[in-house]
Amino acid sequence: MKDTVLDILEDLTGSNEVKKDLDVNLFETGLLDSMATVQLLLELQTQLGVDVPVSEFERSEWDTPNKIIAKVENN
Amino acid sequence: MNIIKKIDNWGTTSPNKIAYDYLGTTNTYADLKNYSDKLATYLNQLNLDTKNPIMVFGGQDFNMIATFLGIVKAGYAYIPVDTHSPVERLNVINDIAKPAACIAVEELPEGFNGLESLPIVDRAKLEDIFSNGDVIINEDKYVSGDDNFYIIFTSGTTGVPKGVQISHDNLLSFLDWMEKDFGIKEDVNCISQPPYSFDLSVMDLYPTLTRGGKLSVLPKETTDNFKELFATLPKLHANEWVSTPSFMDLCLLNPAFNEENLPELTHFLFCGEELTHQTAQNLHTRFPKGHIFNTYGPTETTVAVTQVEITEQVLNDYPRLPIGITKDDTKIVLLDDNLKEVAAGEAGEIVILGPSVSKGYINNPEKTQAAFIDFQGQKAYRTGDLGQFDDNGQLLYKGRIDFQVKLHGFRIELEDVDHHLDRVSLVSQATTVPKYDKNHKVQQLIAYVVAKENNFEDEFKLTQAIKKELNETMMSYMMPQRFIYVDSLPLTNNGKIDRKSLMKEVNK
Repeated sequence: MKDTVLDILEDLTGSNEVKKDLDVNLFETGLLDSMATVQLLLELQTQLGVDVPVSEFERSEWDTPNKIIAKVENN
Repeated sequence: MNIIKKIDNWGTTSPNKIAYDYLGTTNTYADLKNYSDKLATYLNQLNLDTKNPIMVFGGQDFNMIATFLGIVKAGYAYIPVDTHSPVERLNVINDIAKPAACIAVEELPEGFNGLESLPIVDRAKLEDIFSNGDVIINEDKYVSGDDNFYIIFTSGTTGVPKGVQISHDNLLSFLDWMEKDFGIKEDVNCISQPPYSFDLSVMDLYPTLTRGGKLSVLPKETTDNFKELFATLPKLHANEWVSTPSFMDLCLLNPAFNEENLPELTHFLFCGEELTHQTAQNLHTRFPKGHIFNTYGPTETTVAVTQVEITEQVLNDYPRLPIGITKDDTKIVLLDDNLKEVAAGEAGEIVILGPSVSKGYINNPEKTQAAFIDFQGQKAYRTGDLGQFDDNGQLLYKGRIDFQVKLHGFRIELEDVDHHLDRVSLVSQATTVPKYDKNHKVQQLIAYVVAKENNFEDEFKLTQAIKKELNETMMSYMMPQRFIYVDSLPLTNNGKIDRKSLMKEVNK
């Protein structure tokens, strides 16, 4: 699960930094933008069957790889 | 009919009608007339040279549209520049367009080269004019006929943007078509989402204001925060939707985005990039009664020139959706390399003729001459897009003949991104390629970079530094999502960087 999330993030951001620093802020560093976030949610859905309620999506709760992994694990 | 008078008329006949709703803060048509009359009076008293346009810097708020209208009432064209633009972009636009003045609805960034040389109306002054200004209106001064109404800057291939000049009559031709071919009622409530520096915004702005409707604003701050976006949408009670397909894809992620929860939403207009079958099908399933329109057109011919309603039938007949039929007053011809019409049924470059074709790029005769040609005695615009007519007369989009791409609706010249990359101090050589998804849409821009020697501990740190430098000169929508570092770039037999082979590699 964790590896899949990190693979998705690495693919979307084109950087292995997401695997090296799990607390890197994805939005402040410009690794993710709005449209890439949409891709992220779609990939989580197709690859892991995780349905993220986008209407509950708050950036601050999803801004690091660790937070995303926690969200997916608690889904 | 003059567009300005048509909008103003609502301020006289229905002064209390709401024109603009910014997350609950509303302004009426009387406000719009009053503010713009006062600004026009002020500008006329400055006695500037009306041959030059006026730059407007700001985001999405009522003062912006009141300013646009005030400027055209005083006889000037306006250049909308978004608050999210880097200062170098403002400087380049200032250098090219040689504006007569600049109106700063938001505070101008430090380092703007017009601060000393241009008359500047700042926010405090603007608000003072809106509250206390005089009204001495001379309708003869209104922008009309072939006078420029607005100038929108788009990406150029050499890092220098091109200012597309749209006249009053170009815009009028567009508005006549919007009124006739889409079945949208008066009093419409339309969402207003794209920034004003992007000509897609013209599709919600003027058709709504000329029919006395209401603009319900979705500012970037709201759309960036999905939770807030979905909390806001039902409160707007909008009937009409104008956006890029990418923005719709975002909204469709929410299963509650449907007819049941948004019963007033009936018309969906798309432009700016390819509308995929998947997006349209999904939307049709959510809004079975909705009218979905695909449209197509470059900024140079005023927003859009073809439309097709995507019905159940069209979804069944076309695995890749058509871009539609040409508006009544306009003609599209498909030309070969020698600018001769191709045989019926064959693909060729889409060339557009008609009253919405721009007079060209401001202060750029060279680029104007290259793109605006004479075809059988009429002015015509070469789009660089490939098209083909099918047996039903529907135009099909077949891709680009050069290296221009659309990413989330933004038009980007890959050479332009390269140019900015080449100027970064850490970059020795670079080229940018698009990565496509299975629906032929660009998903990412990937930069292949030969870096100069450096002391960064890893590629991430290097990328951060390169991005930081790029942010000072380049619009953020042009920023490559991925950076791949290589020792050298592949070359063609002519010794040029072989972008096509890299494109094949990333899309294999």
